[in-house]
Amino acid sequence: MTEVNLANVTKDYGSVRAVHGIDLGIGDGEFVVLVGPSGCGKSTTLRMIAGLESISGGEITIGGRLVNDLPPRERNISMVFQNYALYPHMTVRENLGFSLRIAKADAAAIRTAVRDAADILGLNELLDRKPAELSGGQRQRVAMGRAIVRHPDVFLFDEPLSNLDAKLRTQMRVEIKKLHQRVGNTIIYVTHDQVEAMTLADRIVLMRDGHIVQVGTPLDLFNAPVSTFVATFIGSPPMNLIDGTATDDDTIRLANGLVVPVPASARGLLQAEQKVQFGFRADNLMPAGHAVQEDGEMAELDLTVTLTEPLGTETLLFTDVAGTEVQAKMLNPRPVRPGETLKFHLMLDKCHVFDAISSQAIRS
Amino acid sequence: MTRRRLPEWFVLLLPAIVVIAAVVLIPLIFSLYSSFTPYKLTRPSTLWRWVGTYNYEKILTDAKFWAAFGRTVLFLTVVLNLELLLGLGIALLMNRVTWGQRTLRTILMFPMMFSPILVGFQFKFIFNDNIGLVNNVLQSLGSDAALPWLVDGRLAMFSIMFAEIWMSTSVFAILILAGLFAMPRDPLEAAKVDGCTPWQTFRHITLPFLMPFIYIAMTIRSLDVARAYDIVQIMTGGGPARRTELLWTLMSRTGYVDARMGLANAMGYVSILLSILFTIYFFRKLSAARAEIGMAG
Amino acid sequence: MDRNRTHRNRKRLFRLLHLLAVFLTMSVICIPGLWIVLNSFRPTVEIMAKPPVWTPSFTLEHYRAMFGGAGEGGVPVFDYFRNSLIVSVTSTVIAILIGMSGGYAFARYRFRGKSGYFVGLMLFRAVPGVALSLPLFIVFARVGIIDTHFGLILAYVAMNVPFTIWLTDGFFRQIPKELHEAAEIDGCTRWQAFWKVEFPVARSGVASAAIFAFLTSWNEFALASQLTRSVGSKTMPVGLLDFTAEFTINWGGMCALAVLMIVPALILTFIVQKHLIAGLTFGGVKG
Repeated sequence: MTEVNLANVTKDYGSVRAVHGIDLGIGDGEFVVLVGPSGCGKSTTLRMIAGLESISGGEITIGGRLVNDLPPRERNISMVFQNYALYPHMTVRENLGFSLRIAKADAAAIRTAVRDAADILGLNELLDRKPAELSGGQRQRVAMGRAIVRHPDVFLFDEPLSNLDAKLRTQMRVEIKKLHQRVGNTIIYVTHDQVEAMTLADRIVLMRDGHIVQVGTPLDLFNAPVSTFVATFIGSPPMNLIDGTATDDDTIRLANGLVVPVPASARGLLQAEQKVQFGFRADNLMPAGHAVQEDGEMAELDLTVTLTEPLGTETLLFTDVAGTEVQAKMLNPRPVRPGETLKFHLMLDKCHVFDAISSQAIRS
Repeated sequence: MTRRRLPEWFVLLLPAIVVIAAVVLIPLIFSLYSSFTPYKLTRPSTLWRWVGTYNYEKILTDAKFWAAFGRTVLFLTVVLNLELLLGLGIALLMNRVTWGQRTLRTILMFPMMFSPILVGFQFKFIFNDNIGLVNNVLQSLGSDAALPWLVDGRLAMFSIMFAEIWMSTSVFAILILAGLFAMPRDPLEAAKVDGCTPWQTFRHITLPFLMPFIYIAMTIRSLDVARAYDIVQIMTGGGPARRTELLWTLMSRTGYVDARMGLANAMGYVSILLSILFTIYFFRKLSAARAEIGMAG
Repeated sequence: MDRNRTHRNRKRLFRLLHLLAVFLTMSVICIPGLWIVLNSFRPTVEIMAKPPVWTPSFTLEHYRAMFGGAGEGGVPVFDYFRNSLIVSVTSTVIAILIGMSGGYAFARYRFRGKSGYFVGLMLFRAVPGVALSLPLFIVFARVGIIDTHFGLILAYVAMNVPFTIWLTDGFFRQIPKELHEAAEIDGCTRWQAFWKVEFPVARSGVASAAIFAFLTSWNEFALASQLTRSVGSKTMPVGLLDFTAEFTINWGGMCALAVLMIVPALILTFIVQKHLIAGLTFGGVKG
């Protein structure tokens, strides 16, 4: 059983605090993704778990064992690096077997372990090549192979896909997920790409400026963001946010005087004249006749399209609500010319309200 | 575990620091001390007599010393500048060569690997007024006078400079060439499209990019300027009549031939300061140039 | 049409001039060395001939004399060669070990005053050999290691360490630090990670630093000429002077010894040239 626990973990570089008291419990076999913009402390946190950075404060335990001052080799973890960090002077076979050789495993055991790993990742053809003779995707696979060879307690991935091109990235994402389903180890995965986080994670840990902003399943973060930061970071396109003011009769007056009712989730929680941001996703603003049929409260808006982005199964429509550019989605699209005015349905049940000053979500 | 451990980096550096302290620093401290004594090798007791700055006063009022000092500075200025210009020229030439570039580059490196003493000897032979290659060729071409290359003061200085430049230009050529290879193509092509003449392109794009490489070469060279001693020592020994006397030959003569160690060490300190000034100057230039093209880090 | 033609002609002219310039440069670089080699195979009479003889004849007289023990002028070339080899190889090995450890410290650790330490070390390299030879001569004489291999080796180690640090620092810095991190995660100690991963990867770079150190020792004259006196410790650069008497010089013999000195140097240069340039520029540019 390998849980990883972080209790009030901090990291200081001189007088600068890079990670502010992180508390995080990761269950056995869980796939947790640390995500956030660059410089948010996610990599530092991962490297502290790995033992590559010293811990300035707090406690880290792996499988119940305190590892604060243990060197990496005594933590029984393995790690896949962004630039793969394959040993350039060794063949793929030697790269895979290196950790076992260091651990003085016998030759037969190393051979079996390497063969198994190569089977899982389809590396059998490449075993006698040097890293320089491999393509980016193959190197990535070798790096993963090196990580699984010695059956560690925890896998750490540090932005492993960011050096691959878009197509390969999608492909490797699937492979990583398959790998996890197959070996079932605890995985801690760092990325700045919210799509990777959404698709891979059992649980997402969204970080910013050295703090954890929100922890939850991908759908939690998507459907119930705790702040405008989460709302705009998770999901593509980002959530539309429009400035408005609460009135005393359960409506919100948007910048240009347009009035919308307060979504049910926030009803009764707003004070009159409170400055808010009214948020909704493109999926919840759709032209009539091109929307999913849903029950619930609906507002109708006549909006002029300024720009279109056809994506095939859907088209993104750029339009303007109360002086703010917003994106809407059109299903079963027909060609739309910029300048056309359409009737849109806004699904009020799916809308969010954030406090304009604290940026925090207002939700019951 | 109460004892504080030394940081790892310091432990790793320690052997280097110890060796250099033992073999360079301590002797230098000793020589600094002895430069304040009238120490003579032949009379060891003189080591314990303190004469203050007498030696320094003596060399600072000595016309022979100043002549050697001035000649050394002049020599270094001329030689380093010519090496830089020639090296730059050679690098630009080589950069345009399309065939056998690797071979040519290897040949280019050979003079760097010659022992300075060997270079001195080689040119002593070639510039020999009687049987030297240069005079032989000149005579075969119909000139009747045998030029006294190493006997006439000016010609001797020229010959020594030639030898020095022959030996050290490669350092510049090779490093500048490496800079040219590392140079990104895009700015050059952009400049061409923007209508720059070749000269403008060189002046505003190529040269600024090459500056750090030029300063690396200068820094490496400045570590080694005193190697000229070997060349002068074997080609002319500072003669004729001290016309090619440099700081280093004067020092070695004072120390070993006249056995006046205290005085020689005082001169030694002047030469050390000279070398160190050169080195620091180029190190600073190097980091400045690096910052300019955004390579620092 | 006309403008095109003038441009084409100008291009041709440039190409011709360029070719000429390359040829001249290479001649100036090659001829002095070749002249020495050529003359080592010419009989003394011919070297000294007036008017000069331009059609060379061939003889091994100088080499035979050189390797024939007491030979020409009784210069013990073999002993000098052996001394050079012992001193250069030993000092190189030690300097590389010490320099590599220092270079690694500069490449991998962050500490206060790093560039200060670096420049400081380099400055010791800048101390002129002649200036250093005076006090070293006295100190070594006191300690009793003058005129020994040990003394000279010690001096050369100190001389080579700074530059070895410069070079190895550059080579180690080219290796991504993730490599030793990966090794540590794979179960290595820092020491194992160095010897099993970083050192093998930097091997060619370290080799060229070694060859640079070797050549510096092999070619050094200013220190060796003062710190060695006898056949038992004199190196070849010092031995070269044995061929010069007060007024006569044995040119042929000197040429032969010169060839013996330069051949190993050239071979080594040829082997490492590529890495050497990379090391010098990398260490400096990315300082």
